[in-house]
Amino acid sequence: MQSLLADYLPLVIFIGVSLVIGLALLVSPFIVAYSRPDAEKLSAYECGFNAFDDARMKFDVRFYLVAILFIIFDLEVAFLFPWAVAFGDLGWFGFWSMMLFLGVLTVGFIYEWRKGALEWD
Amino acid sequence: MAAVPMFALAPALPEIVLAASALLLVLIGALRGERAAGLIEALTFVALLVAGFLVVTQGGERLETFGGSFVVDAFARFAKVMTLVGSAAALLMSGDFLRRAGINRFEYPILILLATVGMMMMISAGDLIALYLGLELQSLALYVVAAIDRDNARSSEAGLKYFVLGALSSGMLLYGASLIYGFTGTVSFAGIAQALQGEGHAGAIFGLVFIAAGLAFKISAVPFHMWTPDVYEGAPTPVAAFFAAAPKMAAMALLVRVFITAFPGIVDQWRQIIVFVAIASMALGSFAAIGQRNIKRLMAYSSIGHMGYALVGLAAGTAEGVQSVLVYMAIYLVMTLGTFAFILSMRREEGPVEGIDDLAGLARTQPYAAYGLTILFFSLAGIPPLAGFLAKWYVFAAAVEAKLYTLAVIGVLASVIGAYYYIRVVKIMHFDDPAGAAFTPMSAGQKVVFALASIVILILMLPGAPAPLNGAALAAARSLF
Amino acid sequence: MYHAIVFLPLAGFLIAGLAGRFIGARASEVITTSGLFVSCALSWIAFFDVAFGDGATRVTVANWIISGDLAVDWAFRIDTLTAVMLIVVTTVSSLVHLYSIGYMHEDPSRPRFFAYLSLFTFAMLMLVTADNLVQMFFGWEGVGLASYLLIGFWYEKPSANAAAIKAFVVNRVGDFGFLLGIFLLFVLFGAVTFDGIFPRVAEFNEATFRFLGHEWHALTLACLLLFMGAMGKSAQFLLHTWLPDAMEGPTPVSALIHAATMVTAGVFMVARMSPVFEYAPTALSVVTVIGGITAFFAATVGLVQNDIKRVIAYSTCSQLGYMFVALGVGAYGAGVFHLFTHAFFKALLFLGAGSVIHAMHHEQDMRHMGGLRKHIPFTAAMMTIGTLALTGFPFTAGYFSKDAIIEAAYASHTPGANFAFIATVIAALFTSFYSWRLYFLTFEGKPRWAGHGHGHDDHGHGHGDHTPHESPLVMLIPLAVLAIGVVVAGFAFKEAFIGHDYDNFWKGALFTGANNHILHEMHEVPGWVVASPFVMMVLGFLIALWFYVLNPRMPAALAAQQPLLYRFLLNKWYFDELYDFLFVRPAMWLGRVFWKKGDGWLIDGFGPDGVSARVVDVTNRVVRLQTGYVFHYAFAMLVGVAALVTWYLIGGTH
Repeated sequence: MQSLLADYLPLVIFIGVSLVIGLALLVSPFIVAYSRPDAEKLSAYECGFNAFDDARMKFDVRFYLVAILFIIFDLEVAFLFPWAVAFGDLGWFGFWSMMLFLGVLTVGFIYEWRKGALEWD
Repeated sequence: MAAVPMFALAPALPEIVLAASALLLVLIGALRGERAAGLIEALTFVALLVAGFLVVTQGGERLETFGGSFVVDAFARFAKVMTLVGSAAALLMSGDFLRRAGINRFEYPILILLATVGMMMMISAGDLIALYLGLELQSLALYVVAAIDRDNARSSEAGLKYFVLGALSSGMLLYGASLIYGFTGTVSFAGIAQALQGEGHAGAIFGLVFIAAGLAFKISAVPFHMWTPDVYEGAPTPVAAFFAAAPKMAAMALLVRVFITAFPGIVDQWRQIIVFVAIASMALGSFAAIGQRNIKRLMAYSSIGHMGYALVGLAAGTAEGVQSVLVYMAIYLVMTLGTFAFILSMRREEGPVEGIDDLAGLARTQPYAAYGLTILFFSLAGIPPLAGFLAKWYVFAAAVEAKLYTLAVIGVLASVIGAYYYIRVVKIMHFDDPAGAAFTPMSAGQKVVFALASIVILILMLPGAPAPLNGAALAAARSLF
Repeated sequence: MYHAIVFLPLAGFLIAGLAGRFIGARASEVITTSGLFVSCALSWIAFFDVAFGDGATRVTVANWIISGDLAVDWAFRIDTLTAVMLIVVTTVSSLVHLYSIGYMHEDPSRPRFFAYLSLFTFAMLMLVTADNLVQMFFGWEGVGLASYLLIGFWYEKPSANAAAIKAFVVNRVGDFGFLLGIFLLFVLFGAVTFDGIFPRVAEFNEATFRFLGHEWHALTLACLLLFMGAMGKSAQFLLHTWLPDAMEGPTPVSALIHAATMVTAGVFMVARMSPVFEYAPTALSVVTVIGGITAFFAATVGLVQNDIKRVIAYSTCSQLGYMFVALGVGAYGAGVFHLFTHAFFKALLFLGAGSVIHAMHHEQDMRHMGGLRKHIPFTAAMMTIGTLALTGFPFTAGYFSKDAIIEAAYASHTPGANFAFIATVIAALFTSFYSWRLYFLTFEGKPRWAGHGHGHDDHGHGHGDHTPHESPLVMLIPLAVLAIGVVVAGFAFKEAFIGHDYDNFWKGALFTGANNHILHEMHEVPGWVVASPFVMMVLGFLIALWFYVLNPRMPAALAAQQPLLYRFLLNKWYFDELYDFLFVRPAMWLGRVFWKKGDGWLIDGFGPDGVSARVVDVTNRVVRLQTGYVFHYAFAMLVGVAALVTWYLIGGTH
């Protein structure tokens, strides 16, 4: 049990580091930043169009679609990094496994392309 | 890490074939568009048949791959054959309905295929991770299938409900799995069984409760059944037909495998969960179905009740109990598929109908269909000497042998109450005046499934006929102990 | 021959009953009636053969029941007693059949009527020819059934239905006793055949039997139970209430069933069982007392009745009382003799009354009659003969038999016989009075029917005038035949039934114990006893003459002067009201309790209906759980998990 928990020590350290960085970024502006608010600055931040309403508004479903598609490839990258690091030890089996994985994702990509999911209109 | 020889993956060959077929069919569909729907449906059917053939020819011994995560034994083969039969039959009889409803998208057969891959992985799962992978693959496909008629609010609502509640149940399952892992230090079923020998495993039992909840959701056992009537009613009828058959078989097989192989040391503890869920399911299935006017909702409660009866066999915790569960599920599969084949054909000129009252006078307008349906409903009700009675007989006998007398008695009482609504349908068909025009003729696929189901139920009445089924189920059950 | 006697009526019943609709009413009448006449002729031949020759025999028809120790054959026991009953039954029945052709000729369902009549005759013949108690009980129930059907023949009349049910139910009380009696005899003797019982009665003289927590002399108990059956069938005091109501049936039925044959079944049965009764002196006393009470009681009620048929019905009741007095004091011959003569004159009176009713277009109230002698002289003459016989006018049939009973009652040493003697003598006075009252009200005096119109019921017929008319020949012939019988039967058979030829005639069919010298003693009673019935008869006649001919206002004045007594008698001693209070209301109350509480509340509430209603309740509640809201569903799942976890927390994890 003890050794099991010890395995998680790097994870705890990692969480601790990210916590420190996150908090530092959040808190430091309050301490060091020059504060001079106006209406434009206080309005909600929106990407791609002017803020005209409450932040909790309905979004076009296409944003979600794009976000989900992004996640797939994000994951792909997330798998590729460790694979690349350990590639030397994995051999051909490891190589073809990743190729298969990429192939499956490609099939999905072809599908969404052909279905027109990548077109905005 | 040494390269894994390709032939080591041979035990998973049926699944690999199905998965590869799915990818191929997605490509075909993507490139050729909706025109390919018919072709894809046919190829899916072929893929399922090939997979079935591969499962049957795998031989009788226990095989493992993926480091023990994937187990193929007699139990898995029995359940996989049933699951494939369920998927293939559902596919066979739904094409006509989907075409008429204008929702015959090429994705539908592919999703069925993917769900089937997931189910087969569930059945063969040898550890908690494989379990979850299979379960999610199946579930994600099913979420989409439930909402396949996406322009229909009811279908979308059904899909969304199923998704939200399914996500909740997956969460519970994962929480339970992590508790189990935390308390035993392993995810392998065999390892868990080893870790749980001896006394005092309160934490593991907590995990077990959550895992049971997640799996009970998949077989729609009370109190995790609430999605079932709404999804059956809201989703297109072919989807309901599919939901009622193959996924139930797979989830029940998974439930049995987890409880029997991972937790054999604490049978007394998990038996209480199963007994509770079984009683609640049987009672609710019997009572609530009486109030239904929609035949699909009726079948939803019917399936809830039937899962309760099947769990009675599992509660016994013996090889005979598992055997009775498998026999029950096989017969349930046949009865449900036959009934849904008919429900799919309930269509007048102006469109499909789903009311029980629409069956009025069927014996006069369509005598053959009425008699076939009468056989199926009597069997569902468990009227001797039909197959449905045999199924109930086996599970109750197993419960009695395990000295679960109260459970058996409650089961019998529930089946008496449940018989009421089945027989009411029969009465409406035979003794009420026809409510309207005759239904339009059944499609070929529906006819095949309906006739086969009726005939199988009739053949199982013959002396000696259930013996092969019992034998296979017994061999399957033995492979778990 | 005996087969023909018994089975011709059955054949008639089957033909008229099953095929009556196809062969028509006339054919049904002819077939049943001719069958009965053949049966009647054969019966007379059998009678002379058996009674005056040496023809007593036993005819086995078939094996009936063989079960363990119980072996019952279907057999005819032909001895003098049976032969007498055969001629009574077949003669009266054939004449009633003939008479009914005329009386019922307007009724639309004549085949049914004749089928019932023949069925009744068959059942009665089964009863009197019975070789064992079970067969006798079969006939006993058969006549009960036929009686029920015939009383309720006009089933569209509620009163007829009520009367039929009443007759059936009251008889059932008696039948229950009869059945218990049969059981007890079987327990004692291990047999139900007469041949198996009678020779061995003496062996069981000391036997006792525990019943209702009391140790009884077994034979006495058996006889009392049997007599209970006889009380029901023969309308004896306490179980008599059905007989007057049974007059709702057609008049020929009253003549056949409720005067001549069925009601005498009880008398016959006691006479048949005389070998057993002789060993049960207590039972005989009970028979005597009950008979005496009935004779007196029925006669008093008969005094004030206005319905012509009811008067005769009470008269029947009263005469049956005489018969039981005779049986009770051991003078079985006298009892059966009175049965025999009474059958003729009572049938004559009933059929005569029917003729009057027919003439009056179904008016039965004597207050609306009067002066009919001029219009229907033949009927009046026949009624006169019947009345004379009933009142015991010298040398008519009733004279011999009734006087014999009164003398026997005087001579007997049976406890209760003295009471019976007084009761029967007074009843003789009343009999004379009400008989002549009936005659005077009906046939003499001024016509009282002119202003009242006639009792038109559904028998509307095409006579232009409403003048009473003489009945058709087919109704008058039976009257004449019976009248001849009434005149002749008395002195022709006196010696045989109760006189010097007694032993030759009966040949042991009636058993008299060693100490029973009643036949001898009854001929040696003092002169005043012999004269008393005659004096009573004359007295009754004179009073009636004074009341209803010379001083017609007298009865009303007397009734006004003694309102309590009058009402008491008019309402039949309030027996119907008493029984209504004692039995009918509690039974109805009990029935209502069982219906409302037992069936409605208990069975329907908790039985099948209740269970299904509860199931529907549960269903409705369960269905409401299915709200359609995802958060409810999720909540249910969480509650389920929480419940299971809690279960283990609280102690599920052993």
